[in-house]
Amino acid sequence: MISRELIGRESKPVVLRIEADAVRRFAEAAGMPFNNQVPPTFMGAFLAANISGVELPYPGMIHGEQKFTYYQPVSVRASITYSSCIKDVYERTGKLGKMTFVVLETKGRNPIGELVFTSTSTLIAPDKEGESETTC
Amino acid sequence: MKQLADYHIDDQLPGREWCPSHLQLRQYAEASGDFNPIHLDESYAGQAGLGGVVAPGMLTMAQVGVMLTNWIGNRGFLTKFEVRFENVVRPGDRIICSGSVKEKSADSLTCYLQATNNGQHRVLSGWAVISLKR
Repeated sequence: MISRELIGRESKPVVLRIEADAVRRFAEAAGMPFNNQVPPTFMGAFLAANISGVELPYPGMIHGEQKFTYYQPVSVRASITYSSCIKDVYERTGKLGKMTFVVLETKGRNPIGELVFTSTSTLIAPDKEGESETTC
Repeated sequence: MKQLADYHIDDQLPGREWCPSHLQLRQYAEASGDFNPIHLDESYAGQAGLGGVVAPGMLTMAQVGVMLTNWIGNRGFLTKFEVRFENVVRPGDRIICSGSVKEKSADSLTCYLQATNNGQHRVLSGWAVISLKR
């Protein structure tokens, strides 16, 4: 289970080469023609952070918020080194019951170390005991 | 065609309509690597209290992204794209993505974004900042 002790935990950097085929499949599945551009949410497809001891997002988690900042364009065949970090973990109890929120930040850099993008995801784990009616 | 720099505060962006299907949710799972069963498995999603499968928030965000990139073309660069997922989207829904310019400077536009389910309740809201190419 996710707890506040995990705040600050980071994944090892992963090198991702952005293959045209992967971008084409992603674009077509999302319902857009592939035009050799990398769709702005493509980097979100790699949110599954490889943080040791934690599976994120784990099955049943829902996505509350997503923020991207792009510092430079990402092109097909670019090479990006990214890593993720758990920035925050907190609980909220509302009319939908108790929920755990996890804020995950992923940073991507180019081969010369320049920041290319930052992705911040807020993931929500509904309390299985409660009756949760929540968003995607 | 109206240029990006010709957009003013409160001008509407060209919108986009999107009708997700079960098939698209399966294809998106395969293309994105997100196999969360709440998007694919009716009984799992039902037990999770969702009342059936829901579209991935990232897929709804991708639709707003298409709206933005079609509009921007090669005349600008999307520097910020932030959304909050406010309500479930399900296969068969009719999602209407829209946006409007809220701030304008010499070299950037800030736009409010939203997506509604058939013009009724909102499923997504957010912001985008576009830096204009000179």
